[in-house]
Amino acid sequence: MSHTRADLEIAAFAVDEVVEGTLTGRDGTTLLVSSSQLAVGAGEPALAEATVEVVRPGDHVRLTNVLDAVVPDIRADDPASSFPGVLGGTWNDAAHPRVDRLTGVVVLPVCDWKAAGLVGPEEFPPSYVDMAGPGQDRSPWGSTSNVVVRCSPAPGASIADADAAIRRIALRVARTLAATTVDATPDDVRRIRALTETDPDLPGVCAILQVASEGPLTDTFFDGANLRDLMPRMVDPAWLAAGRLTNGAYDWPGVRNTTANYQDLALVRALERAHGDALRFAGLILAPGYLDTAEAKRRGAEASATLAAELGAAGAICTTFSSGNSHTDTMLTVRALESRGIATTALVCETNGGLTDHVAEADCLVSTGNEDELVAAWTPERIVGGGDGDAGRAVPMVHYLSSCVQTGDGGWTSVPA
Amino acid sequence: MTVVHYLNQFFAGLGAEEAADHEPVRLDGAQGPGKALAAAGLAIDLTVACGDDRFALDENECLATLLSWIEEADADVVVCGPSFGSGRYGYACGVLARELGRSGMPVVAAMTPDSPGVLASEGAAYIVPTTGNVAGMRDAVPIVASLAARLAAGDPVGSSEEEGYLPRGLRVNVLSDELAADRAVGLLLAKLGGEVRTEIAPPTDRVAPPDPLADPTAALVALVTEAGCVPQGNPDRLPTRHANVWLRYPIGDRADLAPEDYLSVHAGFDTTDANEDPDRLVPLDAARALVQAGRIGRVHDEFFTTTGVDTPVAVSRRMGQEIGAELRNAGVDAVILTGT
Repeated sequence: MSHTRADLEIAAFAVDEVVEGTLTGRDGTTLLVSSSQLAVGAGEPALAEATVEVVRPGDHVRLTNVLDAVVPDIRADDPASSFPGVLGGTWNDAAHPRVDRLTGVVVLPVCDWKAAGLVGPEEFPPSYVDMAGPGQDRSPWGSTSNVVVRCSPAPGASIADADAAIRRIALRVARTLAATTVDATPDDVRRIRALTETDPDLPGVCAILQVASEGPLTDTFFDGANLRDLMPRMVDPAWLAAGRLTNGAYDWPGVRNTTANYQDLALVRALERAHGDALRFAGLILAPGYLDTAEAKRRGAEASATLAAELGAAGAICTTFSSGNSHTDTMLTVRALESRGIATTALVCETNGGLTDHVAEADCLVSTGNEDELVAAWTPERIVGGGDGDAGRAVPMVHYLSSCVQTGDGGWTSVPA
Repeated sequence: MTVVHYLNQFFAGLGAEEAADHEPVRLDGAQGPGKALAAAGLAIDLTVACGDDRFALDENECLATLLSWIEEADADVVVCGPSFGSGRYGYACGVLARELGRSGMPVVAAMTPDSPGVLASEGAAYIVPTTGNVAGMRDAVPIVASLAARLAAGDPVGSSEEEGYLPRGLRVNVLSDELAADRAVGLLLAKLGGEVRTEIAPPTDRVAPPDPLADPTAALVALVTEAGCVPQGNPDRLPTRHANVWLRYPIGDRADLAPEDYLSVHAGFDTTDANEDPDRLVPLDAARALVQAGRIGRVHDEFFTTTGVDTPVAVSRRMGQEIGAELRNAGVDAVILTGT
């Protein structure tokens, strides 16, 4: 990790209201969104169309087939380098970057892969955000204003090409919305500093951010490149805040790490706050999950633990990516860390029957909720995103985007009853 | 709101031990402890009662009678007990609660935490812990009344810790005041300070491995997989993920599983190699070779299959128990379980 880079400034601009207009712009805390201006046509040959629609908290709407959430960001010092590697440009640690960020609004790309004939009937689970009703508080995006980018793959387009186009469009719309802040005065500025030396007697604590990359629709990207060959490595938290890590994995939505989570990782914020006071933030490790074989899992776990030890960590917080398989990666990582004398806490979601995997060393766990719990049936007035949206039927928590996310960004937990 | 109360012969005023064989009866309004519940704000519409011995001896018949009366009363909630430390009474309360719970009826009971009724209820009831004798009535009644009134009204009930009932083995979601990240940092700092706390207790259902086979050469061995191996065309529509069913297919005298006959419908891994040779999923060829070599006795004439991906643990546990029971009934001595 660089200890010499310049501070990254995150300049926040609050958005209280989003209204559709003829031009995209900002009027105080009101964001004006021109759907026609943002809609995408011929620019992406893998897509037949991409339309834009605004939904707000309280709207009687269920969003379906939601792929990701993206916080509107732009590199104010170098707009072309926003979301480097995807939209263009490269990251430079020596630069003095400033990211302008809209708060209270996110971009939600939506695509019905099944209707497009690109996936089988049960290949990907339903993915919802409710803007009202009993499930509104399940997804964090039920309480934000959302710019929904609804994409339709072009006939004959490959799934990989269509997905790449959708990811580009979502980030492009996010950048365009954030561009409304240029030359304006932010409401708040957060500085992400290079980690500084602090009291050596404080316990070193690192965070291990688990991600996975398995192929089209199940990939995570760094600077636009998939992470299928990732071995545990150090990453600067500023890199994530600057949009270098993006999501392209659309499996179970409740435990999906969205791009928005990476852009503003609560775990990094919590460790930065405690740095120099209760602990020494020793670093952030990006580690692979959902590995295919027992040997790969053991190797990944041992490599993460070795890195943590090299950082001088006395403690580590392990996050988990998605459901099932990856819980074994988390548990093996906990075991590898504890075997080196590094105390661990791991974030995991639960099922109705308990944990998917568990090792005896995992004695300090954070529950991010029971993904199987049913949320009461609701019939929205409108479904945006295709399909019947399970209208009128109870829906398991795991179908709500980021409801049980295991990065630390959610508030849901599970308690005995 | 209609409230039905279940009591044993003693608390219903039918008699003490000499009335333990009393058949089920219906009594209007509150009886015995029901009057204390009424005083605590929970009016009892109907009391149903049964002798402890009678229930134990004619469980199915007594249950059917009691359940029919409760259904007839169109109850919104049923209260069982308090049964305190009584084993037979507690068991009857637990069994009745379990059956009512299966039909979706809210049930509140009260008994000692070690009462057989707690296990018998299978988590279907909100059970308020009591002392072993009626001295605990005063403490239990307000909690029982409050829980029952809210359940009958469809109002939310808090966690076992907040409300004081025994954990039912269920986990419900609540929105914390703190983000999980902040809780994680707090828990880790506490652990580094020597105080280990967790939001999830370790699982207690570890299965001890059985003794080794006494004589493998005589063993009947079954093949079980969660690799989603099915006949070509998936005729029984085994789900590709989130399966809640298992299937079985005859092996007959096949030497192996040919790719033109079988495939994997598992959605959790790349099935290309497996589908080239389904014996990689269900190792029938290897099992036949072991028989041929005299190292195992026979191969069971069916293989069992499901897809183990995104399956809730509770469903997996249930399917495992069901398959285990089938194998035991078939006299199977050992299983080769292939996972993905």
